[in-house]
Amino acid sequence: MKTNTFSEIGRDFGGLLVLATIALTAGILINQFRADPIPLVYASKTARLEKAVASVQNAKPAETEIAPETAGPSEVRDIDLGEFRDLLTKQNALVLDARPEIFHRLGHVPGALALPRDDFESYYQKHRTKLESYKNRTLLIYCQGSSCEDSHLVADALSHLGYLRLAVFTGGWNQWTQEHLPEEKQ
Amino acid sequence: MKSILANRWLLFSLRIILGGIFAYAGAVKIQTPQTFADSIAAFQLLPPQLINLLAMALPPLEIVTGVMLILGWRKRLASFAVLVLCIVFLVALATALLRNIPVDCGCFGSSQPSHWSTMIGFGRDILLTFAAYLLYQQRPPAPLAADVVAE
Repeated sequence: MKTNTFSEIGRDFGGLLVLATIALTAGILINQFRADPIPLVYASKTARLEKAVASVQNAKPAETEIAPETAGPSEVRDIDLGEFRDLLTKQNALVLDARPEIFHRLGHVPGALALPRDDFESYYQKHRTKLESYKNRTLLIYCQGSSCEDSHLVADALSHLGYLRLAVFTGGWNQWTQEHLPEEKQ
Repeated sequence: MKSILANRWLLFSLRIILGGIFAYAGAVKIQTPQTFADSIAAFQLLPPQLINLLAMALPPLEIVTGVMLILGWRKRLASFAVLVLCIVFLVALATALLRNIPVDCGCFGSSQPSHWSTMIGFGRDILLTFAAYLLYQQRPPAPLAADVVAE
């Protein structure tokens, strides 16, 4: 093994710069041909969800406007597995899966609807009728586990849309499967 | 020890493995640019103006350098690019560990952010950096390299 000289390293840096420029150009071109291209400037998950909420609100039919007394975000509670199962059976709550849709298809809590954080708007529109029948009833939201934020982001979005009784099952899918509870696949 | 590390077949194997890892990592990430951009943002190192550009540029760069390594074409440049990328990833992961930020390293697509996965990513990256360094230091042509065959 021989040591690389500074001039050789400098030449390699030049080559890397050329490669990086080609990769950036290719990346931008590939992005332009995507069905769902990302913008040039990054928007955070929260900002994207706020935009989706605003879009859902704008598309809202007049008869489903939130009554003034219920307008404004409601509180979101964190619940454990015991309470989650209790609410599920006793209150006939609706369960929402905030994970990416592919994970929902691979397995989810029986009866759960997919409402992925990363595609909130289209899935909200898809389940709109059912969701809006739960405006004053309990909605239980989960994502992968205690370290994911998707369930809280989706709960906040629903809270801004006028949903009153929201709870996040913090243990999420990880805890559900660890306890060997029944799964449903799509 | 030096002779073992300079063994042609060891270097050839390293080149194929490292190239395969990089090409695979790039191919996985190129399919979900938004998820990868979220992973980059979680490190809290770059301004929003640069995050999506990096999310668009990095996967093609990994694929190109990975394929170059596998084919043995311009392998000095390819191994240098991989070495620089590994060092950049190492620094990013180290800063996340030091700042106690649980990140999804985003190395092979999306996973759950946690300190444990950051530690694993850091350890894996040390090994990759060492392999890339060995390849970059390599002077005698490795067997079955495209540019050797061409000669």
